[in-house]
Amino acid sequence: MPKTEVKIIGFLCNWCSYAGADMAGTARMKQPASLRVVRLPCTGRVNPLLVLKAFREGADGVLVSGCHPGDCHYNEGNYYARRRMEVLERMLPALGIDPARFHYTWVSASEGAKWADVVNEFTRRVKQVI
Amino acid sequence: MSMNDLIATIKKVLEEVDVVLGWTRSPAAGVAVPARFHTPDEADGAIFDSTCTHNLAVHLPRLKNSKVGIVAKGCDARSIVQLIVEGEVSRDRIRVIGVPCPGVIDVKRAWRCFGFGKKIEDAGGRVHMEGRSMPREEILLHKCHQCQDQEPVIMDLAAGDVKSVTPPPPPDKTGIRERFAAMSIAERREFWREQFSRCIRCYACREACPLCFCRDACSMQTREPHWTGGQVNAIESEMAQQVRTSHLAGRCTGCEECERACPVGIPLMLLLEEQNRIVEELFAYRAGMSLEDKTPLLTYDVNRDGGWR
Amino acid sequence: MLGVFVCQCGTNIAATVSTDRVVQAAKSMLGVVHAESIQYTCSDPGQRAIIDAIQQKGLTRVVMAGCSPRMHETTFRRAIGRAGMNPFMLEMVNIREQCSWIHSDIDEATEKAIDLVRKGVARVRRQKPLQAGSSPVTRRALVIGGGVAGIQAALDIADAGIPVTLVEKSSTIGGNMARLDKTFPSLDCSSCILTPRMVEVKQHENIKLMVNSEVEKVRGYIGNFEIDIRKKASCVIEENCTGCLICQEKCPSKAPDDFNVCAGESKAISIPFSQAVPLVASLRKEYCRLFIKGKCSVCQKVCPAGAIDYEQEDIVVTEKFGAVVVATGFGLYDWKQSYPTYGMGMYPDVINALKYERLLSASGPTGGRIERPSDGKEPRDIVFISCIGSRDESVGRPQCCSIGCMYMAKQAILTKEHIPDSQSYIFYIDVRAAGKGYDEFTRRAQTDFGAIYIRGRVGKIYPRGGKLVVMGTDTLAGDQVEIEADLVVLATGLTPAEGAGQLARRLNISTDGQGFMAEGHPKLKPVETNTGGVFLAGACQGPKDIPASVAQAGAAAAKVIGLLSQEELETSPMVAEVNQLKCAGCFKCRDVCPYGAVEAQDARDGQVAHVIASLCQGCGLCNVACPPGVISLKGYTDNQLIAEVVEVLR
Repeated sequence: MPKTEVKIIGFLCNWCSYAGADMAGTARMKQPASLRVVRLPCTGRVNPLLVLKAFREGADGVLVSGCHPGDCHYNEGNYYARRRMEVLERMLPALGIDPARFHYTWVSASEGAKWADVVNEFTRRVKQVI
Repeated sequence: MSMNDLIATIKKVLEEVDVVLGWTRSPAAGVAVPARFHTPDEADGAIFDSTCTHNLAVHLPRLKNSKVGIVAKGCDARSIVQLIVEGEVSRDRIRVIGVPCPGVIDVKRAWRCFGFGKKIEDAGGRVHMEGRSMPREEILLHKCHQCQDQEPVIMDLAAGDVKSVTPPPPPDKTGIRERFAAMSIAERREFWREQFSRCIRCYACREACPLCFCRDACSMQTREPHWTGGQVNAIESEMAQQVRTSHLAGRCTGCEECERACPVGIPLMLLLEEQNRIVEELFAYRAGMSLEDKTPLLTYDVNRDGGWR
Repeated sequence: MLGVFVCQCGTNIAATVSTDRVVQAAKSMLGVVHAESIQYTCSDPGQRAIIDAIQQKGLTRVVMAGCSPRMHETTFRRAIGRAGMNPFMLEMVNIREQCSWIHSDIDEATEKAIDLVRKGVARVRRQKPLQAGSSPVTRRALVIGGGVAGIQAALDIADAGIPVTLVEKSSTIGGNMARLDKTFPSLDCSSCILTPRMVEVKQHENIKLMVNSEVEKVRGYIGNFEIDIRKKASCVIEENCTGCLICQEKCPSKAPDDFNVCAGESKAISIPFSQAVPLVASLRKEYCRLFIKGKCSVCQKVCPAGAIDYEQEDIVVTEKFGAVVVATGFGLYDWKQSYPTYGMGMYPDVINALKYERLLSASGPTGGRIERPSDGKEPRDIVFISCIGSRDESVGRPQCCSIGCMYMAKQAILTKEHIPDSQSYIFYIDVRAAGKGYDEFTRRAQTDFGAIYIRGRVGKIYPRGGKLVVMGTDTLAGDQVEIEADLVVLATGLTPAEGAGQLARRLNISTDGQGFMAEGHPKLKPVETNTGGVFLAGACQGPKDIPASVAQAGAAAAKVIGLLSQEELETSPMVAEVNQLKCAGCFKCRDVCPYGAVEAQDARDGQVAHVIASLCQGCGLCNVACPPGVISLKGYTDNQLIAEVVEVLR
């Protein structure tokens, strides 16, 4: 069976990006059916190993999104996440994983339109490199 | 440095500690092996030469309740600093004896060249074994090429002049590192699949690492949390190694002990060296350089972080 | 014993996701003994069906596939709690906001929904029963901002018998409303209706008023905030000052008159206006001759009450609060850079509407006589331009200021009353007058007060012979319009008040694209924020008029009163815990914890970590920092997350 849609795992913080994704949904902003969201309290809960595990289990892409730096519900969580994710992203080529298949970003609860853009854009990028 | 300098220094340190970690020569293997010196008599057997490859800092977390002296090369000293920074070793319980290190050799490779178990001697910049010899620089461990840390960053006493050593030559440009660097991402995927298909999950890499101190809880082995399954195959073994690599982000001092200990010769340092390079690039940080440091992944800098992309 | 309930949400879900196929797929998932699709799971019959299934089949875990957990997680936790289950043995799977509403292909959406249900099943299978904890509540509220919204919120809360601290950044409460002459649509005198409320604040036994003060640091959480408030030195001993104004009269240092939007001039030591509360002078060091040149002290010499203290220092007060109301109000959009063809502020007779309000006001710098700033002459032709920095994508400000249409009509009416032979022209985009009595009001401005409304934008303003030529378009007539005006008044958009973004970060609440503070839900949580115990009132949340601000303040007060009438609050059980048998005592968890919730405990072999559950807020930073993962976040354990990833990719 030809692969029509890629599978992307999204790790989203509950307070900003998950709410932003809800907002995009409430506004009926169409998005590709590629994304499977795992809800977490904070991007600070995203273990880089979860991302690697997702790739290992066959994810075509992995997306991590949280509150904008400075707006973390837990004050500091995304500051740690930013460091962890940056190191991870740069490690991917050495591990034999195309870094284009990974993206981390910040989308607030009020940025429904931005969220839809992120999903559309990232899905397009993943399709290009898969 | 003469051996007498070293032995005298160890004896002096023994006056205030319970045990000194150092090296002695193994009569069977002909090369240096780690030793614990409790008495001045025992200390007479101490040696230091280019076969003293082991990073003795690995023993420190297990000797938390003793006063310990430790003979340290420049690279080993960084591990000691990192252990202190992480609270695994307390500064006031240890005495560090710095040694001038000309670089240590890859004993496994030497044995492949000369035959196992022969006494290896290092004289005049060459490694000798039963009449045959080769230039030392051709058989150094990778980390010793362009070593930046010959002078130990932490040291209470020096056995000899730790500043006197000459810098080792740059590495051979035809090695595995260059081949790996030239590979495409897909080729690396294949490369690791092939490499980890040889892994026997013996955890020697973890045992040799001074910073892998989680003991029985190590999730590579307990499979708790379920990052990896228990099967010994390329996929699970690679994931297990990614667990270890990830845990060492911003902590690894590049001592190369994991790779040296690997019985099937998986080039684990390709991953750790790359991770260390990334950490240095992002945070201008090398682990184990200062007692005041904060491990970069356990802190953040609001003003400087994020300008990376 | 796992049950899966798939909500059709009428057709919201069922139109795009085949709920029957989801149910069929769910029945074959490991551990699932019951699966059904329900038209509206949140309805009373829907909840009853769930409870019946739980009781008849002895379910111990439930997956609810339906709307966002942010919408109804509490609803369904309560429902399964009523059925006798532990309320936390529930996993909500979002197949509406993040599935049916964003996809149109039924097969794709259904396949995704099935993946998500499988993920939810995997997760809830690894869920353990949790018990919510409780923490005591501090019965005291903090209101930040002393404009009309903050005043209303403080009075309402205080009237309910709850102590309130009202913190105001400037030297008096009153906010922007105190600057207004009249209010639309009733033309009530603004200070006549506001001043009594201000006095009431001052006199209320339950209100502690702190002016010249700002929130500096916020710790804690709902029911238990600990907040540092910095009271800035004003060089005046508040208790001594009688408000006699002698210092202001004698002060030789001129200073800008912020209260009058620089329409007049003030002194370095001053009371902004005569109804100020508290009626106490404040000294602005940056304008004071003593602090600039080192010599003066006139105010100290003339003060009959001995109230001047040049040595006064900032004080930081730390207080505990159970709830916070943010009412920081608005600022005005600075139009000068974005509208270069309007003279960039070089023409003194192009002013913003708030400054014009001060010129209209009997308590203003001109005593209510309209004088144009350039030469003090009374203007005859006055042009009002709407939507400056609002509804204008070209300057990146798409939103409506929501009050401009109304106050332009009001100012046109007041202008006619002040100068009977004047003529007002109003350039508008649309007249938005949706409030009660509003449309009638804007029509009266035209019919009874002769204001001429021109639909269109103004392209350019330039001076010619002591007048300003306003060149615009009349889009209804399709003509170019050129008006020679004596005075141009700009209806500038509203921005969040200065420093609002910083305060939002301190309070940990989100802001929207324009920097206004974000409410918890646009419809159902209009005064809540994403941070429990922090509520919004007035224009800090978005542009709004006085009645709306007052209404929101009352709503926020009701929420605070409701919250603080409880003695204890339920706390989330989703906190971290340590498997101490396996802890190696490296304390990386303690290094990253933002709440100081990890402490060391002695164990047989050295020290191990321990989580103080009442401090833990459940972010999970520690869980990731712990190499062997022996500190784990309940409800979001590594194995739960790993299972989700594995199952969703199966």
